[in-house]
Amino acid sequence: MSILLRVMRWIHRFNRGVGQLTAWLCVVMVALGAWNVVGRYVGRAIGQSLSSNTLIESQWYLFDLVFLLGATYALQADDFVRVDVLYSRFSPKGKAWANLIGTVLFLLPFCGLVLFHSWDVVASSWVNREMSPDPGGLPRYPIKAMILVSLILLILQGIADVIQNVAIILGQLRLDAPIVTATASIAPSTSELPADPIDPGALGPESTSPEAPTPTPPDPLENL
Amino acid sequence: METLLAPLMFVAALAFLLLGYPVAFSFGGTAILFSLLGTVLGEFNPRLWAGMPLRIFGIMDNFTLLAVVYFIFLGSMLQKSGIAEQLLETMGILFGRLRGGLAIAVIVVGSLLAATTGVVAATVIAMGLISLPTMLRYGYNRQLATGVIAASGTLGQIIPPSIVLVVLGDQLGVSVGDLFLGAMIPGLLMTVAFIIHVTILATIRPDLAPALPQEVLEAPGLGRRVVRVMLPPLMLILLILGSIFFGIATPTEAGAVGCVGAIVLAGINRNLSWRTLQEVCEATLRTTSMVIFILIGSQAFSLVFRGLGGDSTVQEFFGLIPGGKYGFLLVTLLLVFILGFFIDFFEIAFIVIPLCVPIAQQLGIDLLWFGILLGANLQTSFLTPPFGFALFYLRNVAPPEVTTGDIYRGAIPFIGVQLLVLGLLILIPDLVYFLPNWAMSP
Repeated sequence: MSILLRVMRWIHRFNRGVGQLTAWLCVVMVALGAWNVVGRYVGRAIGQSLSSNTLIESQWYLFDLVFLLGATYALQADDFVRVDVLYSRFSPKGKAWANLIGTVLFLLPFCGLVLFHSWDVVASSWVNREMSPDPGGLPRYPIKAMILVSLILLILQGIADVIQNVAIILGQLRLDAPIVTATASIAPSTSELPADPIDPGALGPESTSPEAPTPTPPDPLENL
Repeated sequence: METLLAPLMFVAALAFLLLGYPVAFSFGGTAILFSLLGTVLGEFNPRLWAGMPLRIFGIMDNFTLLAVVYFIFLGSMLQKSGIAEQLLETMGILFGRLRGGLAIAVIVVGSLLAATTGVVAATVIAMGLISLPTMLRYGYNRQLATGVIAASGTLGQIIPPSIVLVVLGDQLGVSVGDLFLGAMIPGLLMTVAFIIHVTILATIRPDLAPALPQEVLEAPGLGRRVVRVMLPPLMLILLILGSIFFGIATPTEAGAVGCVGAIVLAGINRNLSWRTLQEVCEATLRTTSMVIFILIGSQAFSLVFRGLGGDSTVQEFFGLIPGGKYGFLLVTLLLVFILGFFIDFFEIAFIVIPLCVPIAQQLGIDLLWFGILLGANLQTSFLTPPFGFALFYLRNVAPPEVTTGDIYRGAIPFIGVQLLVLGLLILIPDLVYFLPNWAMSP
């Protein structure tokens, strides 16, 4: 079991790393998106094309990378929406059962089947060195291959989840905090908020920028 | 048999969702189980699964969905950099001299912010954390305070630029710009209706929503705060909307430029650090993946649902409804309202809406109007006890002295107001069409 737990932690860490690295692509996406707009207008004014199909397609590719590679991280961070009418009332072990059943019955077969069906399509795209139909477009085959990478990462995470939940059910793994429920990531955590939003004393110029320490995202595995 | 398996699949999906496993994969898993069942019974051709990669490619080069990333980024940046809170504080003080002023500030800020996030859970939690303690401290009635938060958290769903509208536009095949324009008056109408409700209530029962104490109102530097922290984010959102409405930029483009604007604002407020940027990026990455994977799971679901002949079942079902256009509208709205108790907006948009669209078209229902009605309707659904999503999430962040009963009772008047507006939208479709027509005319 301890070897399995080590494998589980390794998968967790690896997937988190992939997610955190990929997240920075959002900044690139913002920059590129803004450049494409500005480029279109400025370009028209100076009579030169500053944007191109290459840049516009790069924006797509970044978007694809963000959601394909981000899925595992979202799954790990428990950002996926759940219907938690009942789930929120389960005990930690009950939640582990729900997650185990879901992983084995839904996640793994689904990713496996889509992987199986995507394989040939991606392979033929790769063999033919498929290109974008538009002039100046990017090659299609590498981005299509990312579907396979995404699914393989999800399957890896699924395996880690199976180990984790079995361990919880067997009592080998204690999670002090119950697995975080489906709160969306945009909500600020309590500790980031100033204690008193409308406080007469808080109106001074120096307090307009609350430098509250920002906590790291909760990771239930850290306190094992 | 063919007629049985597809509806059974729908019911089974809802039942499986109750297990609490992430929705995206529950849909995908249900699809696999039923395609197996269908294959064994000879009702389903497993080769149809080969269409799945194409559907994923279709999502990958969808230009409209790109806007989702930008608006999520924008919303998270405004929140994580503290701009949203400062906006709420300042507006609270500004409106604070009125009875019920704090509640009005929550409605206004909620509708602005929710617009950029679109996930009910996120908005309600954020608003609950920021404003519930403040309202309670200043002596607001618990039911009113929670009602206002839950209502304004769901309100933003149909106020542009919301990602809900982006997704809706994609699924309905309507231009997102038109949807933004069409949603403008209905959204404002709801905002104003909420404000009127709060004002009337605060006038009749001043004890429910007291004005802020003098020392808060007279604190120095208010004017400077208005200029520094209130106007810039408002300007930013107006600029984004304006550039979309006047055809200067597509929603995706306006979103991208808006993100740059939000980064600059955070920088000016000295709230921009690598840390903040990293948090915003990670939130954007995770929320985007979540939304897109629900779409992927739903695509698998609808692939199998169609393969089992679900399309014709749905057609037949709606064919049985008397009353033509209005009968169909009534039943669809009611169905979606009930589904809204169990599943969030995106699941409904990705699964139910594609099934309704062809029938709505046959009946000559305009999809723009239909989309706005669905949005407004869902918003009410999220607010309705005992299952409403918004209420659950608020429960999770409310202090213990606020009971679930408080939250339920607080929501009811706002449901009434929303239903009133929904009724108006059905009776007077021009409330939706006015702006898009006006934008087209010159």
